[in-house]
Amino acid sequence: MTPSKRMWHLAFALGRRRLFSTRMLIMLPILLLFIPGMAWGFSDANIQLPAEQVPSNGTEVMFLASIGIVFAGTMAAVLIAHDGISRDRVSGVLEVRLSQPMSRQRQGLVLILGHWGSIAIPVALLLILSMWLVGYRSDMWIPMIDALVYIVASMLILLWYTVFALLASSIAKEQGSAIAFSIGLWFLFTLLWVLFTTLLAALNGVAVGDTQDQGYLIFEGRLDLLSPNGVYHHLLETRLDGVDRGVSAFWAYAAAILWTVVPFYAFQRRLNRLVP
Amino acid sequence: MGEDVAMKFSSIGYRHHISNPTWYNPLKKRKGAGVSHVDLAISKGEIIGLVGTNGAGKTTLLRMISGILPLEHGEVTSNGTTLDIDELRSLVGFMPEQVRWSSQQTIQQTMTEFAHLRGCSVQSALDSLNVVGLKNRMDSTLDALSQGMRQRLSLGIALLGTPSVLVLDEPFNGMDPVAIDAFKRLLRSLANKGISIIISSHHLAELDHLIDTIALLHRGQLLAHGTTDALQASLGFEQMTEILSDKEIEQSLLETMNVLEHVQTDHQHRYVIESGQSALLETLIANNHRITTWRVIAPTLIELLCAATGMDRASIGMEVEQSNMIPLRTIGGEEE
Repeated sequence: MTPSKRMWHLAFALGRRRLFSTRMLIMLPILLLFIPGMAWGFSDANIQLPAEQVPSNGTEVMFLASIGIVFAGTMAAVLIAHDGISRDRVSGVLEVRLSQPMSRQRQGLVLILGHWGSIAIPVALLLILSMWLVGYRSDMWIPMIDALVYIVASMLILLWYTVFALLASSIAKEQGSAIAFSIGLWFLFTLLWVLFTTLLAALNGVAVGDTQDQGYLIFEGRLDLLSPNGVYHHLLETRLDGVDRGVSAFWAYAAAILWTVVPFYAFQRRLNRLVP
Repeated sequence: MGEDVAMKFSSIGYRHHISNPTWYNPLKKRKGAGVSHVDLAISKGEIIGLVGTNGAGKTTLLRMISGILPLEHGEVTSNGTTLDIDELRSLVGFMPEQVRWSSQQTIQQTMTEFAHLRGCSVQSALDSLNVVGLKNRMDSTLDALSQGMRQRLSLGIALLGTPSVLVLDEPFNGMDPVAIDAFKRLLRSLANKGISIIISSHHLAELDHLIDTIALLHRGQLLAHGTTDALQASLGFEQMTEILSDKEIEQSLLETMNVLEHVQTDHQHRYVIESGQSALLETLIANNHRITTWRVIAPTLIELLCAATGMDRASIGMEVEQSNMIPLRTIGGEEE
């Protein structure tokens, strides 16, 4: 068996273990509530949204429902991967793993692919279910290309959070620190980022109170490139009409590539230097 | 040893990076304790006992030999070829000190996973299980394993891919005497098949009747390596004999013996004398002494260390204590 085949075999085995873990069983109802549940809610014809927004097509409904991915999907990714390394370190298994001849780069890829796969598969299935629900309920069927971009972008944000959690897990000496670090990062990008954006905007003299102010939208759009959740929304917005937040599709894709490559590199570098 | 050398480590070293924060660089690190300039040649089928006190650098050295820690300097050769770290890992099987295997995974699943990591067949994983005596338990979950079985599983994983060197870090910790005996027999049979074994321990007695050579490590330096006899001779050790007698030996006789130690308990007297006084036994029996023990005793770790470092027992003990001592905290003027 070639080293690549062995790597895929290990990643598949790890993913399967995590997919059928108790932790996943606990998170599945949350994912169900947040992903298809949100899609169901936002596809209601009589829905009352702030600022009198009315979604006019399936892609817009799914964009609104993407909050489920931002809140539940990313949290699930963090909870799945937060002890990916720290658990083995505490038990001594990490020492056994690191003494094996498979290179640390490949072992790192196994960890990323295995953990990411275990959360990506159920979320992708739930997203397909959500899109079907939106089409079934409102007769606003989503074009194939929009569906593809939506799923790819969602998989990417899950990948980013998985790598963050694994990175935290590799730094933490025990599981408590690993979960604190991972959840802290999730909290920062998911909840505190709005505060951070607003604060910076106010300091720059932008009309913070007016969410329709173009200056604020552009400022927020640009600052969002520094947040994984923001980049995720930029990627989704590339398929929406009439959205201008001062960031072109090119910059959204470039930021997505950077958010993929930089944490990947940081994690692999960390793993290469890891002392059990 | 020459042709029989399985692996040779030349001047290898590694120092741990420890946190040394400053106000302008909170992540700053500096080099701390470690292992420096160790030369070690491992012969085929040889069992080396790596001994040293706590903090001597045994685990660090074993991790370097296993390719877990990078070599900051020095090189590793096998059959005249310099090995890189991946090649080193493929030739060495490592068993860390007490791995707490726990999950709902079965032994077989775990072995299969490590067989993929090691790059060997699933069949060889089952063969390893057979060697360590876990084949009948391969459907047991890791959660259900006793400490002895966990140690066996760790050994089974270390044996995957038939390594030429087996590195065992304190393998007897947490094992009962029966398990230790079985484990020692297993290790001897592996050595007879040509696998070289390095075992670390801070108890020389644990390694009795198992090891071929002793490597003495102290403060990150390999002080000596050789057979027990050679080591004793090179360190200027006299062989010692322990005598247990029911009554005190007469003064006139004591003057002819070179007594190194005398301890009196309620019912017997314990003497440690220099070996090579076989005629003494007959004299003692003739003088109506009931001798319950007459045996040659091996030097203890502390004696070997004292001989190798030239330090006395009190100062070497203090040094070890100081390196591991946790400072006392005082709360409200009272020591905690």
